[in-house]
Amino acid sequence: METIFTYLGYFFVALGAIFLFLGALGIYRMPDLYTRVQAGTKASTLGAMSLILGVAFLEPDWWIKLLIMILFIAFSNPLSSHAIARGSYKHNLKPFSKEQVDAYEEVEESKEEQK
Amino acid sequence: MIKQFFVILILSIVGYFLVDAFFKVPFGEKRDNVGNYYIEKSPVDLKVSNSVTAIVVNYRGFDTLGEVTVLFLAATGLGSIMYRRKQKGEKEVRAKNPSSRIIQIGSQILFPMIILLGGYVFIHGHLSPGGGFQGGAIIATASLLMLISYRKFKVSHNAITWIESIAGVVFASLGFIGLVLGRTFLENFLPTGELNDLLSGGIIGIIYIAVGFKVASELTGVIDTVLLNNRPEAQKEN
Repeated sequence: METIFTYLGYFFVALGAIFLFLGALGIYRMPDLYTRVQAGTKASTLGAMSLILGVAFLEPDWWIKLLIMILFIAFSNPLSSHAIARGSYKHNLKPFSKEQVDAYEEVEESKEEQK
Repeated sequence: MIKQFFVILILSIVGYFLVDAFFKVPFGEKRDNVGNYYIEKSPVDLKVSNSVTAIVVNYRGFDTLGEVTVLFLAATGLGSIMYRRKQKGEKEVRAKNPSSRIIQIGSQILFPMIILLGGYVFIHGHLSPGGGFQGGAIIATASLLMLISYRKFKVSHNAITWIESIAGVVFASLGFIGLVLGRTFLENFLPTGELNDLLSGGIIGIIYIAVGFKVASELTGVIDTVLLNNRPEAQKEN
């Protein structure tokens, strides 16, 4: 029994697998922590969510559990990456790029000036 | 000279019996009688679908009591080593910088969810994979999240001690009730119920809930002790 939902499910599962692969590739290839964090977070969050969405199309009975899993990934994955990136910034880890642009510091300075 | 002779004599006697016992071990034969017994009997006798739980809590329940004691000893030892008396005017602060607003809000959302998962894991220990130790560790992770997100989140060590003691007393007294009503320590004296029901397995569910509370409170205490007292330089700055 192959309806449109089956093909849609396969499409989302394949899309999720591609995104997860790209995330892994990004973690392997990127030069420093900040770029790796952003590759790992964006690609793997989107990849896992779209993979679960594909499973929800393939097995419609499980959709409540899968929705909870999607919500959990949407909460936890960006949060932990944010914590890692902020912690390494606070420990003065310099980015790889030659142009040393530090927008975060400018924001912090403007906050202190307002005080 | 005569001392060496006795040593050689005793060693040769011990060696003879060791070699004798070693050659009596049948090698290359199937010897999984005990394993098959557990797998066959635990759904029938105890009405427990997770036979690992049946072994850990019922057939080898005394071992589990020992493991809980080991964990308790480890937590107590760590606490006594890491304990540092507060100096005058010193505030208990864990980290130099407060964590960001995003993490604080997010941990508020995640904290009850992790607690719920931990409770689920140890309440359903006799039905699905998991159990008291795993569920307790998950709950301790939730409190670790709160401890690293909020600088001033305090864990009440009084409450931890009380929960831990009550859970330990429940475990041991269930064992003694089994000894009084039945024949052996930790004997299953409650009705076992139906297979795959939540209220099945007799005392196994109660013991795993007690173990879950005990492990959660112990690990939370360990995490709090390590995080709080390991940074004297951070405490002086505040």
